[in-house]
Amino acid sequence: MATQHSRAAARTMISPAVILLLGWMLIPLGLTIYFSFLRYNLLMPGANPFVGFENYAYFFTDPAFWPAVINTLLLVGGVLLITIVGGVLLALLLDQPIWGRGIVRILVIAPFFVMPTVSALVWKNMFFHPVNGLFGQLAKGLGFEPFDFLAQAPLASIILIVSWQWLPFATLILLTALQSLDSEQLEAAEMDGAGALSRFRHIALPHLARAITVVILIQTIFLLSVFAEILVTTNGGPGNASTNLTYLIYAQSLLQFDVGLGSAGGVFAILLANIVAFFLMRMIGKNLDL
Amino acid sequence: MARAVTTNRKVVSTVFGWAIAILIFFPILWTILTSFKTEAEAIASPPSFLVFDWTLENYSTVQERSDYFLHFMNSVILSLGSTVLGLLIAIPAAWSMAFVPAKRTKDVLMWMLSTKMLPPVGVLVPIYLIFRDIGLLDTRLGLVIVLTLINLPIIIWMLFTYFREIPGDILEAARMDGASLRDEIIHVLTPMAVPGIASTLLLNVILAWNEAFWTLNLTAANAAPLTAFIASYSSPEGLFYAKLSAASTMAIAPILILGWFSQKQLVRGLTFGAVK
Amino acid sequence: MGRIVLKDVAKSFGDVHVIPPLNLEIEDGEFVVFVGPSGCGKSTLLRLIAGLEDVSGGVIEIDGEDATGMPPAKRRLAMVFQSYALYPHMTVRKNIAFPLKMAGMDKAEQARRIENAAKVLNLTDYLDRRPGQLSGGQRQRVAIGRAIVREPAAFLFDEPLSNLDAALRVGMRLEISELHERLETTMIYVTHDQVEAMTMADKIVVLQAGRIEQVGSPLELYHTPRNRFVAGFIGSPKMNILEGAEAEKRGGHAIGIRPEHIAPSATTGTWKGVVGVSEHLGSDTFFHVHMDGRREPLTVRAGGEVSLHHGDAIFLTPDEEKIHRFDHEGLRIA
Repeated sequence: MATQHSRAAARTMISPAVILLLGWMLIPLGLTIYFSFLRYNLLMPGANPFVGFENYAYFFTDPAFWPAVINTLLLVGGVLLITIVGGVLLALLLDQPIWGRGIVRILVIAPFFVMPTVSALVWKNMFFHPVNGLFGQLAKGLGFEPFDFLAQAPLASIILIVSWQWLPFATLILLTALQSLDSEQLEAAEMDGAGALSRFRHIALPHLARAITVVILIQTIFLLSVFAEILVTTNGGPGNASTNLTYLIYAQSLLQFDVGLGSAGGVFAILLANIVAFFLMRMIGKNLDL
Repeated sequence: MARAVTTNRKVVSTVFGWAIAILIFFPILWTILTSFKTEAEAIASPPSFLVFDWTLENYSTVQERSDYFLHFMNSVILSLGSTVLGLLIAIPAAWSMAFVPAKRTKDVLMWMLSTKMLPPVGVLVPIYLIFRDIGLLDTRLGLVIVLTLINLPIIIWMLFTYFREIPGDILEAARMDGASLRDEIIHVLTPMAVPGIASTLLLNVILAWNEAFWTLNLTAANAAPLTAFIASYSSPEGLFYAKLSAASTMAIAPILILGWFSQKQLVRGLTFGAVK
Repeated sequence: MGRIVLKDVAKSFGDVHVIPPLNLEIEDGEFVVFVGPSGCGKSTLLRLIAGLEDVSGGVIEIDGEDATGMPPAKRRLAMVFQSYALYPHMTVRKNIAFPLKMAGMDKAEQARRIENAAKVLNLTDYLDRRPGQLSGGQRQRVAIGRAIVREPAAFLFDEPLSNLDAALRVGMRLEISELHERLETTMIYVTHDQVEAMTMADKIVVLQAGRIEQVGSPLELYHTPRNRFVAGFIGSPKMNILEGAEAEKRGGHAIGIRPEHIAPSATTGTWKGVVGVSEHLGSDTFFHVHMDGRREPLTVRAGGEVSLHHGDAIFLTPDEEKIHRFDHEGLRIA
């Protein structure tokens, strides 16, 4: 419902955004794909010959590749498991009548607003440090050997940090979804003789299914790109023990200056993210009535 | 209708709720407390909670030794700059999609959101090289551009959802009243959408403030915002717990406060309407 | 001045032809009402005149000038929307001033016109309030105020009273009519309510499915409806339509007779029936009469109180002079 004038104006007004995003998407994407077929190392100036799939071959046969894939899956999977289960439980708890519910909510949400480098450093030094960290002191106080988290269980420690950051997000979204549940539905179920547990299983959980899926998809997109937490705590080590794909590609391109290899990895990362994005976009699209 | 809740039940959920909330908040609380301790007390064993010599010394030391203020200002400039620039680009775009929808509008919007899902590491190399070649590495301008682009889809999306709540009649009335498109957007749409625009601004300042991939990879001493500055504490300097805590507290305090105001917008902005 | 001429104006959305080519002349100073059932295209037609939609074909002339391609702002038309469309962030004063500000009028003249409009519309005490603090009727007045200060060539009203309650609606109807008497400016008024059309219009345009069924003064439409649709739409309660033997006897495929043109009697008459529901209003009595061979009851209006009740036998005599005859296509037989 509009006139030629307004349609023309609409096209003009949307074009800066479209052009910028198109440029932001296509130029780097095109270059990444292009570089991935070149032998191109910043430390070896000169010609950058076309080498076909050589970089991909190197990338997939790099001894760090499979560990990185496995670490990525463990990191994403572990954080998802903790945040979803924890998020559902927390959402159910926060939905209860509580004195000072507003403050409780604020405290629970706070970690999401802490910048990744700060949370990584705080956990690394003040909690995980074997001597001075709080966990170390606690262990000593109880008569146990101190445990060097980041050396002995680096990936699990990072999973803990990242889960702490993302638990509020999952909780907040699941709580929002829970609060949109019609209370008459629950009362009807209660009248029908459903106990608290079966009310949760048969009414609340199905109602939350959609929100849980959304949390999984959105978190996956972000978790595939976890970077600062690893850079600050372990630098991907010891060895490759906490290197994920993002960190591996970063190391290859900006630490080893191998543009070609890094680009091949970049293309792989994009493909991986697109698989998740595909499902997420379908869910968003279904909910968007225009 | 909510019915009267038995006091017992409320006591139980209150105890649980507070216990878990304090547990989750504890790392932040501990950081804030440590920032007021001396270095010796910060690593004292057993640790002291509230009974220690409160001091503000760490805050002044952090500033003196590392030019904290420069990085703080960088964070302010990057987050505000990218958000304002993003709004200037996004308001007209969101107007178009909300009030003059065409057949392709949904596709365009979905495509815009999909660019947000591009993994940054996938385009790190070309962006790094382009920035190096045109001298944007470690500049505020370069980072403002990148942060604007990565958050633009979220800004457009949020504005779009807010604009759609404004009745089109009112814009048509303005058109009948002789308003040009510019007048219509400046005098009618924008003032009416102030709450929505403010929410969008808030959420994007938070996202930009905490962005820790591009800020770490594209900056060095000059343009580094607090994310990158704090990362430099991962070197042995980080063992100065009290100073690390003071620097961290200053880095997260402003955004923590903003964040608490933006809980609702968070859901709206980050789930793209998939959860209501 | 506000003479508006539509020549072969048409509108389609994609393949859907909302308005087939249509011609209409609206004279300067006329009060024209577009009336028809919902979805008949009356609002679309108004929006075409306003310039809020493009025509798919044809020409719109305002005061002899081709306005077809003009943006709404250039057409010198003012519009009052169904939702009032007030600017919620502006005070009443600023709302009314907005079109003047857009026209770049100097402040003193703006103030003078606002004051005038406020006085006319009884808004003087509310000028510094926001629309959210006003009642429905007051909002309506602000919307009208915003329109009149511009001194436009014509006013466009899009179902302006449909959001008001019944009592207020009657009052606002009178106010708008009075405003028209005073301003003598062209007004185009869209409504689905035939009572509004009959009471306010100089000229009524009856629309159905985008087509103009008839154009004429209220009484022309009442006395000589061109077809069955207009006959049924204008007048309340609706005209009774009879087909079959009674119609053929009077030389038509169908005949129509208004409820007020049938005389009821307890004893004698042309037709015989049984009283179904009877509505006794004091001033009038309405009978819904069941007759053999008719599924729908016949509506009859009698002045004053008539003491006939449910189940009573009733005799009806139509005023033969006032019977409307229609052919197979539903067109009036003169």
